[in-house]
Amino acid sequence: MRRIGYSTGAIAKGDFRRALQILNEAEIDVVELSALRLGELESLIAALPGIDLSAFDHVSFHAPSAIPADHERDVVLQLRSAADQGFPIVVHPDVIHDPSLWAPLGSNLCLENMDKRKHTGRFVSEMALHFDLFPAARFCLDLAHAHQIDPTMIECRFLLEHFGDRLAQVHISELDSQSRHRLMGAHAARAYQPLAHLIPDQIPIIIESLIDEDPAHELMPQLEWARESLCSDRAAA
Amino acid sequence: MSVLPTSPKTQFLDELERDLGVDWPRMHSVRKRSAEIRTALESEFANRFHPDVSLVVFGSVARDEVTSGSDLDWILLVDGEADPLHRDSEAEVGRRLTAALAGTKLGGLEKPGSSGVFGCLVPSHDLVHLIGGEDDRNSNTTRRVLLLSESMAVGRPHAYERVRRQILSRYVNDDRGLLFSRRENPVPRFLLNDITRYWRTVTVDFVYKQVRQGGKKWALRNAKLRMSRKLVFAGALLRCYYLAHSPDGVRAKEEVLSGDKNSEVFVDLLEGLCSLPALELLAKAVCESSLSLHGRRNIIGSYLGFLDLLDDPDRRGELELLTPEELGGSQVWKEIQEQSDQFQEGLDALFFGDALPSLRNFTREFGVF
Repeated sequence: MRRIGYSTGAIAKGDFRRALQILNEAEIDVVELSALRLGELESLIAALPGIDLSAFDHVSFHAPSAIPADHERDVVLQLRSAADQGFPIVVHPDVIHDPSLWAPLGSNLCLENMDKRKHTGRFVSEMALHFDLFPAARFCLDLAHAHQIDPTMIECRFLLEHFGDRLAQVHISELDSQSRHRLMGAHAARAYQPLAHLIPDQIPIIIESLIDEDPAHELMPQLEWARESLCSDRAAA
Repeated sequence: MSVLPTSPKTQFLDELERDLGVDWPRMHSVRKRSAEIRTALESEFANRFHPDVSLVVFGSVARDEVTSGSDLDWILLVDGEADPLHRDSEAEVGRRLTAALAGTKLGGLEKPGSSGVFGCLVPSHDLVHLIGGEDDRNSNTTRRVLLLSESMAVGRPHAYERVRRQILSRYVNDDRGLLFSRRENPVPRFLLNDITRYWRTVTVDFVYKQVRQGGKKWALRNAKLRMSRKLVFAGALLRCYYLAHSPDGVRAKEEVLSGDKNSEVFVDLLEGLCSLPALELLAKAVCESSLSLHGRRNIIGSYLGFLDLLDDPDRRGELELLTPEELGGSQVWKEIQEQSDQFQEGLDALFFGDALPSLRNFTREFGVF
């Protein structure tokens, strides 16, 4: 049975407490704490000691998606306090200016493949350079990013073949042509199903579809679409 | 006179019904049926497609005028990266609609006609980039004009709304007269000329089909030409008129000329006007005119009488089978003639008479040359 949950930013942008409450009430035990915006990081890190995460079987932490070079040291210091609690720290490789600051995160560092707006991290060849810099790092596969880069999903298959042994978690959603994370539907299911058998059942799946405008109605349907998308019974051989 | 009513898209029709003290049950029944069809389509196709794909329906479903025997014209509009799975989506729409049309879900609608304009996947690029010129084929012009005039998205509207804006941006930003002339009223001549071209093509193609199809369904197509197709053109003309003559439009022109705003303000106004169905725009013009009570009743009443006829399987069936040689002996054809004469009389009064002088002047100055 797949372990599927949500990014807090998808459920309640900027309000992780509300997102956690919604997940608790829905008995969803997989969560990614989102500090995608730099301004969200400090308050989330400060709140961590006081948040009860015991109901969650998997917790990861998403680092900011943009970090000015002069803030990098401070940001990594803050992220280390999350890493010290054992959380995988999901990082976009393009935010890294000074690799030596991030290396101490070791296997807590979890590098994510990127969408078409970025200049790195999109293909196997680009991700390989980052894993060369961080040999202990793990991998967060973003299916929507991979699909945007190559709708045939061949590049995604290559990502899994090359870095599958590092796989820590999977992001799932659909991207529009402005690279915004949208609700999943049948199209996502058709696109992702052929690769479902390459993703082990125990790998946590994090839904990034933005449902913050209507979480009550979309929470469970998106979960079902994620399940359908990764149902390996329907996967192509 | 504001361009954009803040109430639902039936404000002026409802106002007319009230002020004239009439009861137009056909108007309410076709609206209700159209809404039911749209709800059924939403539940069938919600969340089936990629965010950059929209299922778009045209014609009577979008105009709120579904009668028995109405077609369900649709396209799968793609505005994003090419993806082989789009073909699967196209096939899925065809399959699901065929099944739904065969059952009871879609209330007696018919599949799209066989012209190939509808019932298929349509990428957005040609709609936006090919306006005029040899490559702007009949099918492309038809889809583009009807996308603006009588369409709506089922399910995710993002691609649909984006493409409509892009098309309107083309009409606005490529129209030097609209943007730079010192004329107080912003006349969108590029758009006006394209919709006029479309209307003329429809009328010419009527004869083309008459020849190609050996007169098959001639009378029904002729009736639609006199009424619903003409209404689409009248509605499109009114959108151009309202951009030019509303206080919002005049103010927008001042702001663009002074540099306070950019041309997007015209796109916004046109987008609002395109959200109003043609019959509602006609009702708006009627409300603002000095047409007599009798004239007001007749112009809308004649059109609703036409819908009444279409919704009657017997009369519609007779119309479908009527040949040009049999017209003289047909009571149904006589009704069509009376309705279309009354409808045309009302249009003449509005567009060429004294009922709404600013519209008359606009038509005279921009409607022909």
